[in-house]
Amino acid sequence: MTRSTSERVERPSRLGSAPPANMADTRPRKPAFTTRRGLGIAAFMAPAVLFVVVFIYYPMISGSQMAFRNWNLTDLTDTSWVGFKNFQAMFADPVFYTVLGHTAVWVAGSIVPQFVIGFAIALWLRRHFRFRGLYQALIFFPWAISGFLIGILFRWMFNSEFGVINDLLSKAGLIDQPIPWLADPKTAMIAITVANVWYGVTFFTIMILAALQSIPDELYEAASLDGAGKARTLFQITVPSIRATLSLTVLLRVIWIFNFPDIIFGMTGGGPSNETHIVTTWMISITQQGDYGKASATGLIVVTMLLVFSVFYLMATREKKGAKS
Amino acid sequence: MRRRKATFALGLATAMALTGCAAGVSDGTVTIHMVESLTNPTRTAVLKTLIAQFEKQNPKIKVDLISPPTDQADQKIQQMLQSGTGIDALEVRDITAGPWSTNGWLYDMSKELQSWSGWKNLTENAIKYSKDAKGRTDYIPYGFYGLSLFYRTDLVAKKGFKNPPASWDDLLTQATAIQDPSNHQYGYAFRGGTNANSNAVAVIEAYVADKIDLDNGFKLTDGRTIFSAPEALNALNTYFKLFKQASPPSSVAWGYPEMVEGFSNGSTAFLLQDPEVIATVGQSQVINKSQWATAPLLTGPSGKAIQPVATAGWGTAASSKHKAETAKLIEFLSQGEASTTFTKENSLVPILQGASEDTFYKTGPWASYLTMTENPSKYITVTQPRSSSWWTEWIQKSDAEVQKVLLGKMTPEELLASWDTYWTEKWKGQ
Repeated sequence: MTRSTSERVERPSRLGSAPPANMADTRPRKPAFTTRRGLGIAAFMAPAVLFVVVFIYYPMISGSQMAFRNWNLTDLTDTSWVGFKNFQAMFADPVFYTVLGHTAVWVAGSIVPQFVIGFAIALWLRRHFRFRGLYQALIFFPWAISGFLIGILFRWMFNSEFGVINDLLSKAGLIDQPIPWLADPKTAMIAITVANVWYGVTFFTIMILAALQSIPDELYEAASLDGAGKARTLFQITVPSIRATLSLTVLLRVIWIFNFPDIIFGMTGGGPSNETHIVTTWMISITQQGDYGKASATGLIVVTMLLVFSVFYLMATREKKGAKS
Repeated sequence: MRRRKATFALGLATAMALTGCAAGVSDGTVTIHMVESLTNPTRTAVLKTLIAQFEKQNPKIKVDLISPPTDQADQKIQQMLQSGTGIDALEVRDITAGPWSTNGWLYDMSKELQSWSGWKNLTENAIKYSKDAKGRTDYIPYGFYGLSLFYRTDLVAKKGFKNPPASWDDLLTQATAIQDPSNHQYGYAFRGGTNANSNAVAVIEAYVADKIDLDNGFKLTDGRTIFSAPEALNALNTYFKLFKQASPPSSVAWGYPEMVEGFSNGSTAFLLQDPEVIATVGQSQVINKSQWATAPLLTGPSGKAIQPVATAGWGTAASSKHKAETAKLIEFLSQGEASTTFTKENSLVPILQGASEDTFYKTGPWASYLTMTENPSKYITVTQPRSSSWWTEWIQKSDAEVQKVLLGKMTPEELLASWDTYWTEKWKGQ
């Protein structure tokens, strides 16, 4: 039986023999690619690839084609191709642009406080103190709750007459009349954003805390010896060290918040008078009407928008990295 | 050889698993998969008890009850119907019957139920709703929903009113008198959130009661929409005054849970709701049984009220392979003790003749329903176009527009013009 090329290449390093004197790189060599090895890799990857294809790509492609058809659940006897008619209908609807505006407010209003508060909590949790594990568990807890359930909880908390928020504000002497939080378009947007901030802070905390723990203590000790203050340490050691994690976390959260209808559905259902609808809640309301063609067109518009945003965002963050190096 | 045997055994096991080959099938037992839509724990428990009785009477039929959460139930049922597997008996609502039947997902049970002895015991309404316009029996109603006015007897008496409101104008007067925001006391539990359109339409229908088309509650006898009638504006003016003068400001966003909670916790004195609320209000820890009662639906200026009929029932999936067994189950649930138990436990208007003679329906909060049943010329029953394929679209549009009026972004005149145009165009396109 002949030995494979990869084994022959790997053998010297396994035996620990010294590399030739003119060889600068002492790292173990990458095994050569063979058909047999390729088949092995493919066999191991196949279940995962199959899973992704069957449960993600197939439904995605199958769903996307509805955007170009007359696909209405109320009458599926005629599902003919209609070209871009569903897209035209979406772009011709003035509510769509209002909803886009709400989405921008929802994403920006949620991401900034989530980031700032999440970062602050992560810095606090990095320190060693008694019951730190318990605090961590309590802070991470909201992430385990369903978004829709959080929406329902906050709906009752923000209820003007029976809610705890108005009760607390009233007892603190801050208001003398109950605020109709979910009945007024402006306060309704604030209420849903507050609920989302409460929910999403956790994710930033988890991610940033994990990144913070990878920064060597020596860096902080050296900075301290050099007389660096807290702000300088934060902006010249902490932030640069975890920049990649911060960029990725912000990107992920923007995409998720954009696609996060749960809380809004539980709290306002997009009301009052469509004033808290974001693109994804709007899309769901279209599916509830049975118009899967139009809903699918909206979905494709959302995917395109997020794709464009992600490309620009990644390009922007990559430039910064290049400038630094 | 051993390897071949193992392969054969594995293949057989896989084949059995894939074909759903269960031990029960070989002895002739059939399993019916039944899916409910308006799920709640109490109702599911009642249904399970009835199913157990059915299984006892029919040892060769087993029923597997699937109870998805209400919010997602109809979508789940739709997916099951579309895939054509795993569903035999299902709950069909008047708003889902139309589209599901159009798509060929519901089975016309006329043949199976032709010789059913239970037909003769059904009420006129139950028979009427058991057949669609084409004469198909897509479902047998299990009960009916109908509006009545829940009111606080103590607060009404305290303000010097001898009787509860009989008309919408009475309601405005009494609710305004009771309204006292400084003491967190409000008159009416206004519906401004989900399904806000339903009560707005109810008041319009009451105001045009003399000229309404009984077969289409959104149409006048002259063929125009009820929203085009001059009385419709008077109706909405009264209704929106009720919001401004006698309701909590936050009720712009109130849906079913807030309305019921508002009445149950004593914040509001009046509530217009279906009978299913009787059980919930009865469990209130804040108001006791002597503090509330129900009154018949409110009348318009002509002294007549319009009761929109809402219903749901049991049907068979077109893809079912056990249609005869499923029909047997539906027959069981639609007759005798099973039907009466289901309607009583779920606070529904019964489908069986004579069931309303039961003392249960003659006393307490149910008495107002009896009053309405006994006076059909005053409390007129109409069919709303709830089976229209665009019904959900209408709900979303009309709810948003009611909220616009409440927020001052639209006038009642604009709202009526919008609704009139919407229905006129929809009917033209039919």
